[in-house]
Amino acid sequence: MTTSGISRRNALRMFGIGALGVAGAGALGACAPSGGSTTSGGGDTKSKNFDFSSWSLNEATAKPAIEKIIAAWEKAEKSKIRTVSYPYNEYLSQLTLKLGGGETTGAVHLDMAWLGTVAQMGKLADLGSVAGKGGYTDVALNSGKFDGTQYGLPWNTGSIGLIANAKLLKKAGIKEHPTTIEEFEATLRELKGLGGGIVPYAAATKVAQLKDIFPWMQTFGCTLVDGDKVTIGDDASIDALTWYKKLHDAKLIAADVDRFDARALFGQGKAAFYDDAIIGKGVTSAQSKDKTLAEAMQPVPRPVLRAGDSPRALLWGGVIAVVKGKGQDAATEFALHTTSDRATTSQYFADLALPPSTTAGLADPKVAQDTFTTEWTEKITKTATGSPFWRFAQNAQIEEAVAKQVQAALVGKASPKDAMKQAGKEVADLVKR
Amino acid sequence: MTSTTTSPLSGTEPLKSVATRTGGSTRRRIRKDLLRSRVAAWSAVLVIGAFGMAPVYWLLVTALSPTDQAFQFPPKLIPTEITFHNFSALAENDQLLKYLVNSMIVATITAVLSVVVATYMGYSFSKFRYRGRRSLMHLVLASQMFPQALLLVTLYTVFSSFGLLNTYTALVLSFTTFTMPLCVWMLKGIFDTIPDALLEAASIDGASRWRTLHSIVAPLAAPGMIAAGLFAFVRGWNDFIFALTLADKEKQTLPPGLVSTYIGEFQTAWPELMAASLVVSIPVVVAFMFLQRYLVGGMTAGSVKS
Repeated sequence: MTTSGISRRNALRMFGIGALGVAGAGALGACAPSGGSTTSGGGDTKSKNFDFSSWSLNEATAKPAIEKIIAAWEKAEKSKIRTVSYPYNEYLSQLTLKLGGGETTGAVHLDMAWLGTVAQMGKLADLGSVAGKGGYTDVALNSGKFDGTQYGLPWNTGSIGLIANAKLLKKAGIKEHPTTIEEFEATLRELKGLGGGIVPYAAATKVAQLKDIFPWMQTFGCTLVDGDKVTIGDDASIDALTWYKKLHDAKLIAADVDRFDARALFGQGKAAFYDDAIIGKGVTSAQSKDKTLAEAMQPVPRPVLRAGDSPRALLWGGVIAVVKGKGQDAATEFALHTTSDRATTSQYFADLALPPSTTAGLADPKVAQDTFTTEWTEKITKTATGSPFWRFAQNAQIEEAVAKQVQAALVGKASPKDAMKQAGKEVADLVKR
Repeated sequence: MTSTTTSPLSGTEPLKSVATRTGGSTRRRIRKDLLRSRVAAWSAVLVIGAFGMAPVYWLLVTALSPTDQAFQFPPKLIPTEITFHNFSALAENDQLLKYLVNSMIVATITAVLSVVVATYMGYSFSKFRYRGRRSLMHLVLASQMFPQALLLVTLYTVFSSFGLLNTYTALVLSFTTFTMPLCVWMLKGIFDTIPDALLEAASIDGASRWRTLHSIVAPLAAPGMIAAGLFAFVRGWNDFIFALTLADKEKQTLPPGLVSTYIGEFQTAWPELMAASLVVSIPVVVAFMFLQRYLVGGMTAGSVKS
C-alpha cells in the first residue's frame, strides 16, 4: 500500500465526492421523465379511470382480444384504463409486491390458484353483491371464492385433465377410453407394444410439473389436507406413488418430462396420453407438423380406482378481482362485463378458445358447437376441484416439496413410503407457517 | 555417453555418429512431444470452444428453425429447414426497439456513473490514509453480499416514496448498487499500481490534487476504467429482476422485455425469442470486440507489484 501524505480532510473530500456522486445522480434523475407512477392509498372509488393488470396483455395471442374488450369499454363508458402486465411466471410476486406498496389499483386478472395468496393481503374488494348478476356456473363461482368470500369473478373456467391421441389408440386397437386405473395400465401396455419409441403416457416426471400427481393421489383416496391436517404420507398417497413408480419403471411413462416435453412428444405422435389444460389442444396442435392432430385430440376423464368413483381433475382458469380504493366501482363493473357479457365472452372464446364461466356463455352457439370444449366441460371440468393447498400462501413451496420427494422415489433414491412420509412432514411444516 | 568419453581410440567418428544418433532421436522426441502437446492443446481448445459455443450454436439453429422444427423431439443438431421469418418479425415489433433503446440508455449511464463515482472512491481508498478507511472498504465489499431480493424490496419502497418508480433514474441507481462496489475495488487495485512518486512529482511541479487525479492518474488508469465500465455495462444490460420490478413497460429494458414478449402462460415462442436474443446481443459483442484489449489489461492491472 502506498501513501501520498495527503491530509485526512482531503481524503475524506475525495470519498465525499464519490458518495455525493450517487446522491447527485438521484437528484438529477428526479428530472427524468416519469412513467406515470400511481399510488392508491385509498383514492376515489368513484373514479371512472382505473388500472387493469393481466399477464395476458403481454402475450401475442391474447393481447389483441383483451385490448378489444378494453377499447370497447373505454368508448362506452368514456373512461381510461391503464394496462399493466408482467410475465406469467413473475406475475404473482410482482403483483403482491406492488399491491403491498399501493401501486396496484383497479381490476386484476388472477390465476385461480393465486386467489388465496392475494386475498390474504386484505386489499381485495368483496364482489359478493355483484357475483349473482353474472349467471356463472357453480363450479366457476366457487373458483373465485376464498374463505367463503367472493373475491374474484370467474373469467375462464376449465380444468387440467388427460388428453388422448385417438389415432394412436386406434392403431393399438383400443376402442374405448379406459375408465379404471387397471384398464388404464393395460391400455398403456398395449400402446407400448406399438414400439417406435412411443411413450404411452407423457406424464410429468420433472419437479416443475410433478404437481400433476396430486389428482392421481386423490384418485387413490388421499385428501391431501383434511381440515388443517396434512394427509400426504397416508396409505392412499403411498399407493398412488407406488403405482406411478411402477409406470415409470415399466417405461409406460418417461423420465424427465414436463409440460413442454409432453406437448412436443404428443405433437409428434410419440405419446398417446398427456396432462394439459383445455387450451392444450390449440397450443400442442399449433406446434405439430401433423395438421390433423387437432381432430385426433380427445378429452379423457381421469381413470378412477373403482368403477363408479368420480374422476379427479384440477380446476384451472382465471378470475378478475378488484382492488379496494381508486376506481373500485368502475373496475367492478368492468370485471362483471368482461366475465359475463354474453357477446364479449363468446367473442373471447372465438379468439382464444378459453371456455366462458357462465351458463349462457357455455350455451352460446360458438361454444356449444365446439365438441372438444363441450366434451371437456362435461367429462372433466364437471368434477374438477381446486387444490386444497391454494388457500396457503406457501402453495408454491408445498408443491415443490412434494414434487421433490416424488422425484426421489421415481429415481430410486427413496422408497414411495419414505418419500411420502417425508413430503407429508415438510408440507405440515409449511402449512404451520 | 560413457563409451564416447572413455575410449579415445575410437576417434571422432563414433562420437559424431553417437551424437548424431542421440541428437536425432532427441530432436525426434522433442518434435513428437511438441506435436503431442500441440494436439493436446488444440483438442483442449476445441473442446472448450465447442462447450462455450454450443449454446450460441443452439441459439442460432433455433432462431433459424420454423416453429414445428424447433419443437422436434429428439432435437436435431442440423436443421433440415431454415427460415428467416423469426428475424423479419423482429423488425415489425416497435416495442422491442423501445426495450433496446432503454437498455442502451440505462446500461450506458450505469457504466459511466459507476466508473466516475468509483474513480473517486477507489482513488481515495488507494492513495489516502484516514481513520475508518478499511471499514469503508469492507462496507463497500459487504454491500455485494446482500441477496438482490432484499435490496429490491428496500429499493422499491424508497423509490416509491420518492416517486421515482418507472423512471430511468430508478433503474440506473438500482443497477449502480451492484456495479459500483465491483468498480471501486477494481479501480482501487489499479490506482495501487501507480507509483506515489508520480503524484509527488506532480505536486512539486505545482499541480493541484484535483489536476493530479484528472491529468496524470486518470489517463494512466484509463484501461482499467474502461474495463470496469464494461463490467458495469454488461451487468446493467443483463439485469432482469430490478428492471422488471422498478419500471413499467415504457421504461423496461431488454431482459424483462424479451421475457414478457415471448414467454407466456401456455407456451414460449422459442424461435422468435432466440432470434431476438441474437440480434440484441450484437451491440454488446461489438463493444467487447472493440474494447477487449482494455478489458484484459484492466483485469490484470495490479496483479504484479513493481
